[in-house]
Amino acid sequence: MTSIVRATGLVKRYDRTLAVAGLDLDVAEGEIFGLVGPNGAGKTTTLRILSTLLVPDRGDAEIAGASVRRNPNDVRRVLGFMPDSFGVYDDMKVWEYLDFFARCYGIPADRRRRMIGDLLELVDLGPKRDVYVQGLSRGMQQRLCLAHTLVHDPLVLLLDEPASGLDPRARVELRELLRELRSLGKTILVSSHILPELEELCTSVAIIDRGQVLAQGRVAEIEKRLRVGAVLRTRILGEREDVEAARDWFVGQPDVVTSEILPDGLIEIGFHGDDDGSALLLAHAVGAGLRVASFARVASDLEELFLQVTSAEPPPSPAPPAPGGWVPA
Amino acid sequence: MTATMGTRRRFGAVRDVGTGMAAVGVKELRGRMRGKRAFVILTIHLLLVAGFAWMIESIAERTAATGFGSSFSASAEIGRALFLAITFLLTLITLILAPASTAGAISLEREKQTLDLLATTPISSLAIVLGKLVSALSWILLLLLASIPVVSLVFTFGGIAPEDVLRAYVILFATAFTFGAIGLFVSALVKRTQAATVINLVAVIFLTAGTAFIFVFWTAMTGNSGFLPDQPTREDNPVATLTRHPPEALMWFNPFLAQVDVMCGTETGFGASCQVVAGVTNREVDAFDASGQAFGPPRDSYWPRSLLAMIVTAAILIVLSVQLVSPTRRWRLRRPRRAAVPEPAAGPAWADAAAAVATEPVHGAHVEHPASTETASSVDPASPPPPAGGPS
Repeated sequence: MTSIVRATGLVKRYDRTLAVAGLDLDVAEGEIFGLVGPNGAGKTTTLRILSTLLVPDRGDAEIAGASVRRNPNDVRRVLGFMPDSFGVYDDMKVWEYLDFFARCYGIPADRRRRMIGDLLELVDLGPKRDVYVQGLSRGMQQRLCLAHTLVHDPLVLLLDEPASGLDPRARVELRELLRELRSLGKTILVSSHILPELEELCTSVAIIDRGQVLAQGRVAEIEKRLRVGAVLRTRILGEREDVEAARDWFVGQPDVVTSEILPDGLIEIGFHGDDDGSALLLAHAVGAGLRVASFARVASDLEELFLQVTSAEPPPSPAPPAPGGWVPA
Repeated sequence: MTATMGTRRRFGAVRDVGTGMAAVGVKELRGRMRGKRAFVILTIHLLLVAGFAWMIESIAERTAATGFGSSFSASAEIGRALFLAITFLLTLITLILAPASTAGAISLEREKQTLDLLATTPISSLAIVLGKLVSALSWILLLLLASIPVVSLVFTFGGIAPEDVLRAYVILFATAFTFGAIGLFVSALVKRTQAATVINLVAVIFLTAGTAFIFVFWTAMTGNSGFLPDQPTREDNPVATLTRHPPEALMWFNPFLAQVDVMCGTETGFGASCQVVAGVTNREVDAFDASGQAFGPPRDSYWPRSLLAMIVTAAILIVLSVQLVSPTRRWRLRRPRRAAVPEPAAGPAWADAAAAVATEPVHGAHVEHPASTETASSVDPASPPPPAGGPS
């Protein structure tokens, strides 16, 4: 497959904050590509560079062969961008909203009318044609904003946190919609800090932290690599001494790298084997007379990978250090 | 071949700006003209102008009836008073409405976070700015044109020629354009619409009342007695003149004075409005016009300069606004481009290591240290320093 979005060595600094620090990205045609990272990792900055809203300090990116530096207008013609927080115009009806953006792309009047109808059908807003935009629910506005990125039939869609602020039902609808768009041949870049939603949706992901790509590849591939190392949590019944004894017992087992007691009394095991290995470990533990109350692999796979890859710092905290991410003094 | 390509591209660019302006203009006008609001404002505007005209006419009629002066010219006097009053009122309305209707043009897009959506379309910043300005001005234009019938009342009294009305309207349009452009510039410069509105209001007051006050003050400080012009000699150097008389340019952005100059052209003698204009321009007052009758400064001696200054300023402000709106082509005045690029000084040590992590992420992190806490310690030296102890 040929790559349709390619970024090489992107660097962007806001005053003293290095938001993107030499980021490389390669997205093949027809993928739903997830950009994952904690808040302030540089996802939004990257997407804004790709969508020509920001000029990188260094490096360049090409979308369908057009450089965001040298031919931003060519990029804009093949690109649909949905920012993470977007507004809607007051005093505007749904069809006028789409009509306005279609005019911005210079689409002739006869095509506009038909296209608006088609798009509203696609995003399931057909009956809302003459409703004022500000009267739509958040999920509907999101879908309308997505529709506006499609007026010029772009090759690539950049969606920054498209699912944020949506209820679960709207999220499912969005996911279906994105799958449908992929089947129409669009390449889609989605950013998110919520992993499970990307895991189900994306064909490939890139994990970003501190403005760099830490891991990139097909979801299955990354998951496979991940199986090599996993975190198990187990609850052992008994007194404190029993739990400590169990911890020590686990350390001696094959493929176990670490074993420690968490504050809530669970034992967390850094485990190096696959699923068979963990089944065996459990059997041995029971066989050794440990009273195992629970035994489980923690978190979803991507999430775990995410935490491990980005855990040079504590996992994504609700209050990131700075909007741009890492602050170099 | 490249030449033809270039030409086509240039024409294409002009067409693109046209399409973009149309897109923005249609959108803006749709919002502006929706519902009853536009028609309510138009009606109020016309009632105000017409009512004001009637009151001025009543006052002037009474003054003419009781005052001295031949009845032969009394009607013309009423016509002129009416004309001046209505043009002043229209100027005032324009000065208030033009900046007000552009004050939110860009800042509202920023506040509502719609500017990004616009900026990722191929539409140019120039098209955005011009589209907004044209739609705002077309609204003011509608109000001004709708007042023409009321202004035409002056013809029933006489004293004013159709060309004078034309002059007044040219100045009104230029006023709308200039102050619309000022409003737009402030809107692009300031983030909040509320602040933009206040700044615009202050700008209007300063450019009209403020400059007039400075002018009067300056005149007083030079020791001249009021508006009686001090005759300059040809040999004077410009700076030396300033010690005797404030520069005329100070008043160029006061559209009221430009209207007074038009008014001066209608006076047969050396009347009050000509006296004011002569006081500002500081030219000979004993000039005779083409017919050799009028006594005062030559006709059209001042307002074309004022108009030119306003239009040039507006054009400059439009160019600046385009720069402020454009996300990527913005002129970087504050710091040179080089300085914005991070120098590699702090870079290589961790950048290389981080790149290594990027290529072999899971293995590198996992084979040796699967548990997250240990991964942390193993990755730490290789990764960017934490915020506290970063490189400077």
